[in-house]
Amino acid sequence: MSETAALRAPLEEAIQRGALQLDERRFGEFLDSTASDFRYRIQAYSHDLRKDMTFLDHDRAGIAALFELLPKHHVNGAEWLRQVSLQTVNRRGETSVESVSALSLFHTLIDAGDAHVDGGSSHLFAVGRYHDAFRLVDGRWLLSERTVRLHTRQLGIGSHLIP
Amino acid sequence: MTLDSTLAWRQRLGGAKLPFVDSRIYTDPQIFQEEREKIWRRSWLLVLHESELAEALDFRTLSVADEPLIVVRGDDGKVRAFLNVCPHRGALLLREPAGNLQKANPSGSPRRISCMFHAWQFDSRGKCLSIPRRNAGYQTRLECEDVRLHEVACEVAYGGFVWVHLGENPAPLAEHMGSAFEALRPHLEAEPLEVFHHHKAIVRTNYKLWHETNSEFYHDYMHHFNRVTGMQQPGYYDRRYETFPNAHVTVSSMEVRYTAYEHDEHALANSRDLSFPGLERNGWKLLDLFPGATLNLRGSALRVDTMTPLSHDRVLIEFRGLGLKRDTAEERERRVRDHNTIWGPFGRNLPEDLLGVTGQGLALRTGSEGLHMLHGRIEDATIHDETGLRHYYEEWSRRLGRLASAPYGDESGPRAKEPARLPVFRGGVLAQ
Repeated sequence: MSETAALRAPLEEAIQRGALQLDERRFGEFLDSTASDFRYRIQAYSHDLRKDMTFLDHDRAGIAALFELLPKHHVNGAEWLRQVSLQTVNRRGETSVESVSALSLFHTLIDAGDAHVDGGSSHLFAVGRYHDAFRLVDGRWLLSERTVRLHTRQLGIGSHLIP
Repeated sequence: MTLDSTLAWRQRLGGAKLPFVDSRIYTDPQIFQEEREKIWRRSWLLVLHESELAEALDFRTLSVADEPLIVVRGDDGKVRAFLNVCPHRGALLLREPAGNLQKANPSGSPRRISCMFHAWQFDSRGKCLSIPRRNAGYQTRLECEDVRLHEVACEVAYGGFVWVHLGENPAPLAEHMGSAFEALRPHLEAEPLEVFHHHKAIVRTNYKLWHETNSEFYHDYMHHFNRVTGMQQPGYYDRRYETFPNAHVTVSSMEVRYTAYEHDEHALANSRDLSFPGLERNGWKLLDLFPGATLNLRGSALRVDTMTPLSHDRVLIEFRGLGLKRDTAEERERRVRDHNTIWGPFGRNLPEDLLGVTGQGLALRTGSEGLHMLHGRIEDATIHDETGLRHYYEEWSRRLGRLASAPYGDESGPRAKEPARLPVFRGGVLAQ
């Protein structure tokens, strides 16, 4: 087995498990799989402005705060499903790796829209890529940085949840 | 449903003492068509910021009241607007949302607006430069000099924003604005601004309901963020509305206490110290412009909302964030973060505002029964007063020749429209 192939397996596992944790809103478990200096960003290239935009930029504490404060905000009710495909893995050092994954984010409506008419319907919310960095800590690959590069720039009313 | 509840539903809350509008102004497709002709095609509209056209030959495309437009900075530096329509056979000229004319397209030369269909070419000032095989086809019957792009009134003013007006020979923009911009002028005209954020949303609601959301603060009850950083802080209830001719409205400032929002790491790090020239730290001023734009200056970021109504129940809203053109990279990063933490598509406030107005769109549907929508809070023009709403509909009623509270006038008149029928009950039993 090549070194890259050997690396892919644990990273794929980490990325897919993280997607499931976010889908199921097990935010504490997701945070447990991130490094202490975790940084999370959502970015997109604006074809209107012809420049990059940053929609969200938080450190680990900032992301934790977003999760903790969710009950105090009105959130558009939907079940989220992240379809993630690992595309590339590149070792950056003995204990650091970067990866790129394609992301399709579907949501199935609960109370978003007319619950009677629209409830239960599934829609593509956004597509883009995860640009991740991992660091090996005590034998575990922890997510140290995630930049979500969205292609989708029409996000409806937006969301208090993160892709 | 009982007879009592039916009657109560039909009656105005508060009787004749409380101002209201008839909700059918949001749900009637005919009224929307009239709005497009009498308001949107006859008003100065803020469409973008000059920083989006930073270089000569930069262009943006957009649509206003169903008219496709090009806004381009000419080779002479002047910003102009044209219909994005080839005068030859009506093809769309430019398809990209933004670009620079230096780049040639497959049908044309650099520095020109070229129609992909038959390769007619125009310069950045709208002048026709080339009609392929003109002599062979048109002989002396048509010269390039006979052809121009259709220019639309356009001005750059009030903080470097670009404004267009679809009408012919409209009164100057300054006449439309009056003195409404004066409260923001010291902060937005001291030095050049720059757009750093743009996103858009198509929302299932009537456009006026979004403008109303931007014109009243009573709905701060919806926002945990605004409650703790605003409503519960000193100065909130001292903020005042001021109304101006042509239905513009301003709201005076207060200091937003960002540190009150739990876990706001940026506030806790006391980093929200960027502002705009002359604006107190974490100050908050707002300007609502008829018929549908808002400049919201809060702390380190200026948010600008513009709307393109698509139908009576659908609106495209564009959200821009601006800082100072001279920002360092570090300053810009902080402004972007401050802006998007609250107002980005994943921010704390914007999804809630859009959720609220979407709910109105879902509740007030095409052909639904008219509801008396209260605009009746009178609190000496302070922050929960609804004077902004009332002021808007005075102008709206004047423009449309319909009262917002009685849009169909005398039921026996020429604009008579059968009011939505309510079920008739007799003795608690449905009679018909």
